[in-house]
Amino acid sequence: MKRSSLLAESLAILWKELASELRRRVALSAIGLFAVTTLVAVAYQIGPYGLAEQDRPFLLSALLWIILFFSSMAGLARVFVKEEDSHTAPTLRLAARPHAVLLGKLAFNFLLLLALQVIVVPLYCGVMGLAVASASGLALVMLAGGAALAITATFVAALIARASGSNALFPILALPLLLPLLVAAIAGTRAAVGSPGLAAVLPALRAISSLGGVTMVTALLLFPAVWRD
Amino acid sequence: MRTALTWLLGVWLAGVIVAGLLWAPAAAGFQGDSFRIVFFHVPQAWVAVLAFCVNLVASIRYLRTRSALDDSRAGAAARLGLLFALLATITGSIFAKLEWGMFWNWDPRETSILVLLLVYAAYFALRQAVADEERRASLAAAYAVFAFVTMPFLVFVVPRVYASLHPDLVEAAEGVVRFRMDPRLRLVLLASLAGFTGLFVWLYSLEVRLARVLAARRREES
Repeated sequence: MKRSSLLAESLAILWKELASELRRRVALSAIGLFAVTTLVAVAYQIGPYGLAEQDRPFLLSALLWIILFFSSMAGLARVFVKEEDSHTAPTLRLAARPHAVLLGKLAFNFLLLLALQVIVVPLYCGVMGLAVASASGLALVMLAGGAALAITATFVAALIARASGSNALFPILALPLLLPLLVAAIAGTRAAVGSPGLAAVLPALRAISSLGGVTMVTALLLFPAVWRD
Repeated sequence: MRTALTWLLGVWLAGVIVAGLLWAPAAAGFQGDSFRIVFFHVPQAWVAVLAFCVNLVASIRYLRTRSALDDSRAGAAARLGLLFALLATITGSIFAKLEWGMFWNWDPRETSILVLLLVYAAYFALRQAVADEERRASLAAAYAVFAFVTMPFLVFVVPRVYASLHPDLVEAAEGVVRFRMDPRLRLVLLASLAGFTGLFVWLYSLEVRLARVLAARRREES
């Protein structure tokens, strides 16, 4: 029998996740509705004129990432929790190697976050009257921030999947680990909002990429122990 | 021998307290005697970092050996790290009140140690949420290693990205307040660092011995 490659197995896991999500849309609905509800609450309280002009770039960037972070907490853990709830995890352990499971589920969570950003960021900019000086810079910060967020969130989801009270445990474990990323992502978004060109966002992009790289390598090294036990 | 060392540690720490409060001269650039808390705050922060490093090593060892004793070592080190980080936070807050008029200023250093407390409090939340002993040990070990790799960003990068009120003891570092280290101040600080390290070693060895006794009793009962 021909042995499948890591890439093929990862893509198969990703496809399984996408098919499952498109069938029931649980994670996307949870994340999307959480984001829109929070956005409405923020917009209702602050709106486009509720902040002093000099405070707007920083506070609006911070609020945007807080919406994205807390929305992601509502749905990213599902990739592993649902396998335990539906008792499909043992079959998945037999069907694919651990790294393929991690990469496939990570890719799914990343795509989920991208979908969230595509919906929320333009909506937020429109509702809050946030003018972005560097759209490409903002897109890069969102891409890098989304990838780094997905890495930590996916790994923590694997950790909490077999713990009792996993849904409550997920933000408790993930948020402190994600704080350095939140700081860098807010700094990058603020730079993209205030300065044209890519030069201003580069320091934040370097911080996000290095954090994402370190957590990715660590997650790849540790995941087999987490998944098999 | 062990009793003698424990007594020596007690006398050493008593000497550090007396030297820190009475013998060390006043430091320039600080309000009144507020600097004297540095002799306890800095060693507490150092022991917290040391304990988290021991937790990392024990966690990696557990993932390789699957020995329950390594899991106990990791748990003991994290418990002590959390305790000393909490003490460093409290003494830091007292210093902040004396020096800047507020117990909490959301300074990057204050925020980073608060997040560190949350990270290791979450470690214990994870441990409590998993009933199976072996699974609990491996998940906690994996979380400890993963959490530790984010620590450099939290402890070293974030406080340097944002301006901090926190005095820097290192001459070459960019800080608002420069701590001019008098030789007597340095001596007391180094003695305190050694004393607190000894305190950590003593408490850690007690915790590990207790874990051994409990494991032996569990084996006898089963």
